[in-house]
Amino acid sequence: MSLFIQRMFDGLAEGSIYALLALALVVIFRSTGQLNFAQGEIGTLCAFFASTLTLSGLPVWLAILISMVIGFVIAALIERVVVRPIEERNPGAVIVALIGVFLAVNQLSAMFWGVDARSLPSLFPTDADSFFRIGDAAIRYERIGIIGVLVVVLILLYLLFNKTKIGLAMRAVANNQESSNLVGIRVGNILILGWGLAGAIGALAAMMLAPSAALSGTLMLGPFLLASVAAVLGGLDSPVGAVVGGILIGLLKAFLIGYVDFLADMLFPVMLVVLLGVLLFRPAGLFGTEKVVRV
Amino acid sequence: MSGNILEVSGLTAGYGQIEVLHGLDFTVADGEIVVILGANGAGKTTTMRAISGMIGRTGSVRFDGNDISTARPDAVLRAGISQVPQGRGTFTDLSVEDNLRAGAYTVKGSTVGDLDRWFEVFPRLLERRDQRAGSLSGGEQQMLAIARAMMNRPKMLLCDEPSLGLAPIITQNLFKILGELRDEMGMALLVVEQNAGLSLQLADRAYVLETGGIVATGTGDELLADDTIKQAYLGGVG
Amino acid sequence: MSNDTGRPDVAPPTVPDEGPITAADVIAADDTPGLPKRTPQFSALHWLGRVAVFVVPLAYVYLRVLGKTGVLGDGWSNSGLGLLADAFIIAIAVMGVNLITGFTGQLSIGHAAFFALGAYTGLAMTDGRVTTPFFGDDNVWTAGWTIPVAALLCFMVGCVVGLPALRLKGIYLALTTLVFVEATRSVLKYERFDGVTGGATGIKGDKYSPPPWAESIGLEGRGDINEWFIYLSLALLLLIMLLVAGLMRSRIGRSMVATRDNELAAEVMGVNLSVVKSVVFGLSGAITGVGGALFGLKLGLVDGDVPLFGLLGAVTFLVAMVVGGSAQVWGPLVGAVFYVFANERARSVGEAPGDFDLDFQIVLVLMVAAIVVIVGRYLSKNLERIKANVSNEAVRAAVIVVGSLAAIFVLQDVLLGIGSGRKLDGLGGVVFGVLLVLFARFAPFGVVGTFRLARNRIVQVVPKPPIGAKVAPLPPSAGRPESGLAHDAEAEAEATPTGGRADDESSPPP
Repeated sequence: MSLFIQRMFDGLAEGSIYALLALALVVIFRSTGQLNFAQGEIGTLCAFFASTLTLSGLPVWLAILISMVIGFVIAALIERVVVRPIEERNPGAVIVALIGVFLAVNQLSAMFWGVDARSLPSLFPTDADSFFRIGDAAIRYERIGIIGVLVVVLILLYLLFNKTKIGLAMRAVANNQESSNLVGIRVGNILILGWGLAGAIGALAAMMLAPSAALSGTLMLGPFLLASVAAVLGGLDSPVGAVVGGILIGLLKAFLIGYVDFLADMLFPVMLVVLLGVLLFRPAGLFGTEKVVRV
Repeated sequence: MSGNILEVSGLTAGYGQIEVLHGLDFTVADGEIVVILGANGAGKTTTMRAISGMIGRTGSVRFDGNDISTARPDAVLRAGISQVPQGRGTFTDLSVEDNLRAGAYTVKGSTVGDLDRWFEVFPRLLERRDQRAGSLSGGEQQMLAIARAMMNRPKMLLCDEPSLGLAPIITQNLFKILGELRDEMGMALLVVEQNAGLSLQLADRAYVLETGGIVATGTGDELLADDTIKQAYLGGVG
Repeated sequence: MSNDTGRPDVAPPTVPDEGPITAADVIAADDTPGLPKRTPQFSALHWLGRVAVFVVPLAYVYLRVLGKTGVLGDGWSNSGLGLLADAFIIAIAVMGVNLITGFTGQLSIGHAAFFALGAYTGLAMTDGRVTTPFFGDDNVWTAGWTIPVAALLCFMVGCVVGLPALRLKGIYLALTTLVFVEATRSVLKYERFDGVTGGATGIKGDKYSPPPWAESIGLEGRGDINEWFIYLSLALLLLIMLLVAGLMRSRIGRSMVATRDNELAAEVMGVNLSVVKSVVFGLSGAITGVGGALFGLKLGLVDGDVPLFGLLGAVTFLVAMVVGGSAQVWGPLVGAVFYVFANERARSVGEAPGDFDLDFQIVLVLMVAAIVVIVGRYLSKNLERIKANVSNEAVRAAVIVVGSLAAIFVLQDVLLGIGSGRKLDGLGGVVFGVLLVLFARFAPFGVVGTFRLARNRIVQVVPKPPIGAKVAPLPPSAGRPESGLAHDAEAEAEATPTGGRADDESSPPP
């Protein structure tokens, strides 16, 4: 039982990271209808920035904040410089361009920081004795911290979307760009804002993950795929779906490794089957709304 | 009625390389209801989009003494022109109340008073305040679109084919409401329509638009009496 | 296309190659990566140009790369030869991607999985890890058999995965294929399949060497493997190009294009979408699997961490396809050669010049010269006419390719200094990523497509006269670029190279 609780918290913490990343993907999909393939790589780049900043003596929380701003700027630039000009002329090519951005950003980190792994200190205590017990289960503070970060982000996003004018504009743009224009919303600015927001959230996800993994160019490749699967499973237009999907995949991974010995290394084959299964029966995902395409 | 609130001259606009409007001239006086009548493809919607800055255009558009020939949509709204787009264009995934709030996007300060007021005018919307706009009927969505446009406190309202897809009885009711709005608020109204019968009854003045140019103009009654117009725009409708 | 109706006196275009169209014909018509000037039909110059497109590169490979006869030096080093073989092998893999993504319009970034499967098949079989009743006791399959077996395996896997996956579209399909890559990699590394795949350590099985009869052309043993693979993969590549060109001319090929251009319309017209798509996915997987088998046999060493088997490999194939030109039979070859050598150049930035650097620089100079000519004509006194004909697309694509090559050189020579020993990891990836973005933005038809587009514009901007209309007699300058036909940018954007060709054929003969 204690092992079960421990694994559950492992899964929840890891799932929170996927949920954050999936949230970032959903924010972009809702506004632009694209899957941002570069999302994970922007995060990796920001984690490298944060690592360098902490090495120069900055406190971790400040380094993370600054890197989130960097993530915001990078993603906003991608929207303005890459996505929008291509969308206007050749919408089908945006996905190809985003894959190009994925490659370029991925390799940028290798160019600036080399191929040796770096490290990023955690925001939370990671000493050997920084845990508490539920029964016999030892729960590390870091796990709770990461789950807490997700909760805080969720609350902030809820407030932003539902209690502010900007949030209302973001929802309006996600729903109908033409009408948004007609009520005086500068759609372009809102799109930039949405991408930037997603960039910052994605960066946060990477910086939550980096302390417990090796910070290298491949840091976010796997997590990005898992988060994308999470977002698609939950429904690419549903923030709730992203969080549920992320947590589910985190738990699935923890329990697969913990309990199903022969599938421990087979996470991706399992994901492929789950993904195909869900998409064939619920093309819009578990919480997504199906779009009717009129001809 | 003192002078023209909207003066359009030499307006050309189009999409890409295709010019749709070839130099329109028309005016709307203060508090006047003007109808632009035209068949499919005549350029009605393009005219609307050109005035509200949704598409590139050349020529001169003056509104309330300001030149808005090159203004962006939000600047046009701030100048006091709201548009009810064709097909209503409500935010289907947003609640009715959020739709109205979005309509007041360019208004500074509190809009609670406006919200209450339009819920009073359109009690159906109050009943459905928290529903998704997409779940409303066509007539209700048209009300919502008008209320949303009014949230901007406009001096002039543009309506793009408000009767489209609505039953005649609902259209009649709609035009009645539009007339009342003008009478109460002294607001000018520019309506483009295919439905000549109802809209000309509402109109103080009307223009006939054909393939991107104005071909006839007169008061609503004059045009209603005109045989050519009757044939072209009333013949099929009756 | 009928944007020029104000000029009824303009003659119809030169119609190339009438008569039944064969696969070879398609390939031949795909020629001339060069200046967008087209000589009149049937002239000696015209045929000279067509032949030169084949002969010059082959002669270059024979005389310069392989160093036969010693006229142009002693040939490249063994590693240089390996790169050329790699380029051909990757071209085969990209042919597979092009079939499903370029021609059928289903974005797959999952073909790295087929590449890996093919490579593992090749090595597992030559290493005696697969048991069959046919090949004697040691179970070492003749290497030649591994290639069709890899193709068959990949075909079956492709059909099985394709049947559900290709019901998905756009980003959903792209993501699913990406997960497919990682899933395949997990399976190949799975310790329980150790006996066949070698598990996490992979297979070291460099037992493959050129067949005995190759001794007659001077190839002996594993040491000459790179030269052998240049011949072998080039032959297979040409074979596959013929097959693909033939396939695209067939009923199923037309279904594929119809599917890409308008799924709903294709379905209404009776194309069984899911079957067509999965069979094509299987075929494309098989082609990429052939490339993978060659790759594995040549490398003699596979494990799950080979970059081309993972996400980066998946993206690599896409880069090569887009740069070369999607839906172009010649695109993958151009794209793969470009990719392999530019990547090698970027990778070895800061190192002493390699044996093909001179060639690389000559190519760069030639490309710069070509651009100067194009831009010069573009800006010449015939500005309007040339502008209409050469099209911005060609200029853009040329500038992009040469610009990125120049960037690699500038970074090498200026930033680091030749031979300084400093490395710039990731430069190639950054350049290719940026290239993908630039091509998506400026030259969606890739290098080959853009040049064909430019060339086709010159011969087919003529409006088609209505059926039965009297056609004016053909003036002597017909079909020349100087015939001065205006067109608008929109028609240009719409006229895909394939569409342009269709117009060529349907134009009435003079």
